Amino acid sequence: MGVFMSELLWAEKYRPRSLDEVVNQKEIVDRLKRFVSERNVPHMLFAGPPGTGKTTVAHAMAHDLYGENYRQYMLELNASDERKIEVIRTKVKEFARSKVVGEVPFKIVLLDEADNMTADAQQALRRLMELYSANTRFILTANYPSKIIEPIQSRCAVFRFTALKREDVVSRLTYICQSEKVNCAERALEVIYDLSEGDMRRAINILQAAAALGDVTEDIVYKVVGLAHPREVREMLQLALSGNFMEARRKLRELMINYGLSGVDIVKQIHREIFNPEVKIPDDLKVMIADYAGEIQYRLVEGADDEIQLNAFLARLALMGKRLKV
Amino acid sequence: MSTQRLPWIIKYRPKHVDEVVDQEEAKEKLLEWLKSWEKAPPSKKAILLHGPAGCGKTSLVEAVAKTYGYELFEMNASDSRRKQDIERLAKVASQTSGLRARRKIILLDEVDGLDPKSDVGGVESLVEVIKNTRNPIIMTANNPYREHLRPLRELSEVIAMNRLKETDVVRVLTKICGAEKLDCDTEALKEIARRSEGDLRSAINDLEAAAALNKKVTLETVKAISAYRDRIYAPWEALRKLFSARFVFQAREAITSTDLTPDEFKTWVNEHIPSWYDDPYEVWRAYEALSRADQYFGRIVKTQNWDLLSYALDMMGPGVAFARTKYKGKFVAFKMPERIKLLAETKRSREYREALAEHLASRLLTSKANVKSDFIPYLRVIFTNNPKYAAKIAQSYNLPEELVTWLAGPKAKDVLAYMKKTKK
Repeated sequence: MGVFMSELLWAEKYRPRSLDEVVNQKEIVDRLKRFVSERNVPHMLFAGPPGTGKTTVAHAMAHDLYGENYRQYMLELNASDERKIEVIRTKVKEFARSKVVGEVPFKIVLLDEADNMTADAQQALRRLMELYSANTRFILTANYPSKIIEPIQSRCAVFRFTALKREDVVSRLTYICQSEKVNCAERALEVIYDLSEGDMRRAINILQAAAALGDVTEDIVYKVVGLAHPREVREMLQLALSGNFMEARRKLRELMINYGLSGVDIVKQIHREIFNPEVKIPDDLKVMIADYAGEIQYRLVEGADDEIQLNAFLARLALMGKRLKV
Repeated sequence: MSTQRLPWIIKYRPKHVDEVVDQEEAKEKLLEWLKSWEKAPPSKKAILLHGPAGCGKTSLVEAVAKTYGYELFEMNASDSRRKQDIERLAKVASQTSGLRARRKIILLDEVDGLDPKSDVGGVESLVEVIKNTRNPIIMTANNPYREHLRPLRELSEVIAMNRLKETDVVRVLTKICGAEKLDCDTEALKEIARRSEGDLRSAINDLEAAAALNKKVTLETVKAISAYRDRIYAPWEALRKLFSARFVFQAREAITSTDLTPDEFKTWVNEHIPSWYDDPYEVWRAYEALSRADQYFGRIVKTQNWDLLSYALDMMGPGVAFARTKYKGKFVAFKMPERIKLLAETKRSREYREALAEHLASRLLTSKANVKSDFIPYLRVIFTNNPKYAAKIAQSYNLPEELVTWLAGPKAKDVLAYMKKTKK
């Protein structure tokens, strides 16, 4: 594997740089290419599941518009990292102030994960879009377009990205394997597709981690995914449900220290675990646990203490487990 | 100066280690540690001696110095914030005792008196002094578990002293009565001892006050002059009060009877609910109450509405105490919460994860949240399983050493070694 002294993450290395390299989302790409050739881009909303290429396509289009140094004409913001609309406002204001030089009369603001913004923040965003529309174009991406307020949707050309098809993902993974001279079993790539649920980014990450362990076989793929998603959460859950509160609490501390997980991360993982078919608990109990998980997550967001709330959660699981003899 | 005028608490200070009562374990540990200095400075160059007020912390150190011929350099830590004091302290600490000079002990009294807000640099400068000292340093504190004392705690051997037993307090008082040629009723001395709750200093003060009134110390005079003091309890004593409270008010009082803030005490309760309760039903009820208290604390911080504190205390005190299904008197040794030790580690780990996400997000054209959920788990797999490959990735992304170390965990050394090799 790899003869170079340095190795990139494949998700970066095999990302299409130009629209011509984008293999799927064909209709979208064709329309965007027309915008590029006409040097005329509307505000746009890219909607669709994670890992379907929304951000990649936005970058590829900007690349085709402005050339290699496109990033100086594009302001990249991520709504889930910059939660305050004031921050966004200041940055956009600053960015829009400078004039554009070159053939393209506008610059691009890429606002990723815009559906993470509150409705109020989106209202403010809408005003920003109007205020600076003379020399900027906004590209918003969202997993859930329904969470984008209508006034914004109506100002944007909406593009729906669809989950990648099995053959698209598998053929891309095969291509990467060939370029990297890695032995990949076809069946292993199928398993990667199943595990990544059509998310190309995750699929590539699994492939790279598997290749780091050796030939990419079905077993290695399962091993990698198991290693990446700590089993400790499931173990903690099972310890608690078997009534062993003290051990479950110890596991909880381990998770927080070794993996740097926050309370919310752990609650979410518990939630995911209980609906995993391998975890054998009665369905009515699953529902009760899910309900309590939601309550705990809300408390944490409200400012409560990670460990105390999760201990309360585990204590409750221990009691439920004992009562229902899981 | 005539000895008559000396307050009894000074006059009757132990002059020899053997006169120090009730603190066998602390004595033994302290002497052993001092002995270890004779060869070379031990790994812990300071001792944090703690115990309730009046249990004889300072007296013990003074008695040890007297008995074994140490020169005692004494300083009250809460005064030591002045720059020249710290400098003087640092100078004394760094001196080696010459061949003829007497060996030295540095005593820093009441380090818990350092105010975390106004003495911001105080703890840090003490930490420096301890790191560089060539002489044994002993610190005393009523309560060493305040969060701002953590750096001192980590550097020191922590030794606990106990509240004195009532009978021992009575014994000391009887001796003083003899020396002062007083006529003391045994009942009167017992009453003083009982009210002192193991605080010998306050007991001696009370006896002196009673004797000043009348050469004959009776139960009546004692009752007339000595009031119950508001006591400050060590966290484990407060926990015992809480869990074994019979009434709501006792459980509530327990929380405010330590000099920990309720928020700090919360950590102790969190740690010890399962040490006290073993029935899952009780454990659950107690945690349920504590988690409600914790919610109130969160809301107080968020809204600054301190009215809510009352509800928080209700849940944390009575809520936890009356999680029991039936009253049990029992003895549990409450240790210092593991969590106080772990908190720093957890925080560091979380900061590394955040820093790594920040470092990679822009390169990978995604949010920090996505880097955390989709990239870091797989990077970990690579870094913990294939150090050579990991080193190459680390180089492409200019990952700083501490992030590599965090990602690679047990394989950190290997990854860093490969990075060095390829750099050349």
